[in-house]
Amino acid sequence: MERIVTRFVAALRENGIRVSPGESLDAVQALALARMDGRKASRLLLRLTLVKNVNDIPTFNAVFNHFFSRFQFVEPEADLPALLDTAISDMEGEFNDLNERKDDDHDASGPLLKLDSEIRPEDLAELKSLAEIDPDDSDGNEIVVQMKGYRGKAKTPPRPTRRYTQNPLTIELGKSNSDARGVTFSPEEQAVMQEVVSKMMLRLRKDMRRMKNNQNRGKLHVIKTIQKNYRHDMVPFQVALRRKRREKPRLVVLCDVSFSVSHASRFMLLLLHTLHNQLLDVRSFIYNRDLAEITEMLANMPVNDLMETIDRGDIVDLDENSSFGQVFLKFKKKYLENLRGRPAFIILGDARNNYDEANDWVLDEIREKSRYMLWLTPEERETWSRGDCLMDIYGSYCDKVEVVKTVDDLSLVVEDLLRDIYADQAHPIDRKLLREAKAAETYAPEDYYRRGANAGSEPVFDPEGRSHW
Amino acid sequence: MITQQAVMDFLRAGGYIADNAIATAVFLAIRMEKPILIEGPPGVGKTGLAKALAAALDFPLVRLQCYEGIDEGKALYDWEYGKQLLYTQLLRTQLDNYLSVSADLREAVERLSSEESLFFSKNFLVQRPILRSFLSEKRSLLLIDEIDRADDEFEALLLECLSDFQVSIPELGVIEARRKPLVILTSNGTRMISDALRRRCLYLYIGYPELEREVAIVRTRFPDLCEELARQMVEFLRQARELNLRKPPSVSETLDWAQVLSILKATELTPEVVVSTVGVIAKHQTDLQKVTELAARELG
Repeated sequence: MERIVTRFVAALRENGIRVSPGESLDAVQALALARMDGRKASRLLLRLTLVKNVNDIPTFNAVFNHFFSRFQFVEPEADLPALLDTAISDMEGEFNDLNERKDDDHDASGPLLKLDSEIRPEDLAELKSLAEIDPDDSDGNEIVVQMKGYRGKAKTPPRPTRRYTQNPLTIELGKSNSDARGVTFSPEEQAVMQEVVSKMMLRLRKDMRRMKNNQNRGKLHVIKTIQKNYRHDMVPFQVALRRKRREKPRLVVLCDVSFSVSHASRFMLLLLHTLHNQLLDVRSFIYNRDLAEITEMLANMPVNDLMETIDRGDIVDLDENSSFGQVFLKFKKKYLENLRGRPAFIILGDARNNYDEANDWVLDEIREKSRYMLWLTPEERETWSRGDCLMDIYGSYCDKVEVVKTVDDLSLVVEDLLRDIYADQAHPIDRKLLREAKAAETYAPEDYYRRGANAGSEPVFDPEGRSHW
Repeated sequence: MITQQAVMDFLRAGGYIADNAIATAVFLAIRMEKPILIEGPPGVGKTGLAKALAAALDFPLVRLQCYEGIDEGKALYDWEYGKQLLYTQLLRTQLDNYLSVSADLREAVERLSSEESLFFSKNFLVQRPILRSFLSEKRSLLLIDEIDRADDEFEALLLECLSDFQVSIPELGVIEARRKPLVILTSNGTRMISDALRRRCLYLYIGYPELEREVAIVRTRFPDLCEELARQMVEFLRQARELNLRKPPSVSETLDWAQVLSILKATELTPEVVVSTVGVIAKHQTDLQKVTELAARELG
């Protein structure tokens, strides 16, 4: 029994469920304790002890079914010889298939003989599936080689899509990478995003908590101190300080939803609104040639519905050419007046203005009203002044221009930004701590040795690196 | 020697209708002395299971409600400063006498420190839920409710308690559980619980019950509600759960609704009845509308 369990655990691990040795011990113990009557009960026992996450349950069920399907449950009173006969004839059926193919190729070879001696149904199934993959010109030897290759392929993760893709920007979200319009987020994509965001939250939360503790520094809260020290006979061992009120950092996001960057925009919107309630106060706008605020809609509508609405062009017309100049002008007229509290400003777009008026002076005004201005573009730096791209002009108004190509890039940029914003508001001590933490992060010991070697030579072009202005 | 069936039976006697998975988990938890971590949507009877179990097994229920910022002073133990101070005040004369024998300050300090353990003894220890359940004379049931609300630090603190059933107190040393309690942790999944904690527990996911079990739950709680109506309302609620509501109606809503219907002495589910009682099952404005639409469509 222990061997069966360990092999089953190995199968689970192969399928990505993490099972610790202690848990497999639990499973053995549980199986010994409870009477096993039937497949369902044993599956229940194994599931209770081995699976520790809801999301793993379907995988577990699949692995269980697959793993234990090779051990058929046989009724004790069943006619064993008859069963054996049917099994043999079943297998012969499989062999016939192979034999035919072999005859076609006029080539008898070793591995088939080996198959003869210890054949298992799943091997046959695998061989059969191979036949479907590569039906032509395969003899026995090749089958073995290909089988290895086939197995290996299944295990290696899907090849990462190339990050060099220029235009339009595609974002790696799980496997589906279609850039067609009208695509909403699939559950996997949302899961990926959830993961990105939760990782980010984890990293940020540590800093935030530390800062919160320090932010407590304020005037003495007399009443609370007395209350707290009542049990110490009013000797103020524990001091309660007034908490300084701090507002959530404000953020304004302008997202281009035209075809070229729409995928990135959607991710951006989703990302910021996942953060919205916890860390930020976000106002979101989308634009193409027109500009519209969607903060309310994002708060009240399911994300997928909203994305569909945007894709249908109900909010801003998607068929027009995007014009940044127009958008900035509209933003100034409609929203700039009532922009409160010096928000940080993020613009996501490729700055391709379709030869319209630049209106870059508006950016100057926006800049005055904002704490920080960040432009995110999918284009590489060398194309910034080519064609109708006005990145060079617009970029000069921004505090920072970053090139983002993937979801990871984007989340890193946002994280950095949040840190910066928080650091800006933080207590001087925290600011120092944060700076130190950041310095410790960016410093890698191997750089110390490389720096000397590279001195004088041209900096190496790093396609994954984000260029800073 | 108990079996799964026995567990199911005594839970049923306690008014809790368990399915196979729940009964097996409870059975294993009792036999293997391991905690159960229960996850699932709100209102499917995670806490209810603990309560029913405590009642059925006649274990004292010790409940620890987790919240953000809970720490060992609230969960494990605390020192009773006030009592310590009071005792030093009251015992001042005794102390004076005791210390007056000593010749100098050094000796006095030594004498006093040799008696220090008096002030850090169990007399001055406030037992918080976990320690209380460990030290209880009878085997108890420790319910750690909504663990996902606590911080990760607190989770780490629980690791020692849950795997070895002991509490380390620096002043007293390690205190082991007198009787290992049956531990039930519940989580609503608002935060991922760490793998370290999951590993120490049996994992039970309680989802929405299947039709028959839900009807049985309603019938045991409200025997005066007629069978047809119970079935009708459960079926309706199952459809409502498919509607993608912001807060899908859970078992607790089913029971509330059953109570309301039995108070209203309703005999059949009609759109009018649903509309007049919709507030019991739908808790958001958008949900209200969806549920009323469903009622008009399905029952009208």
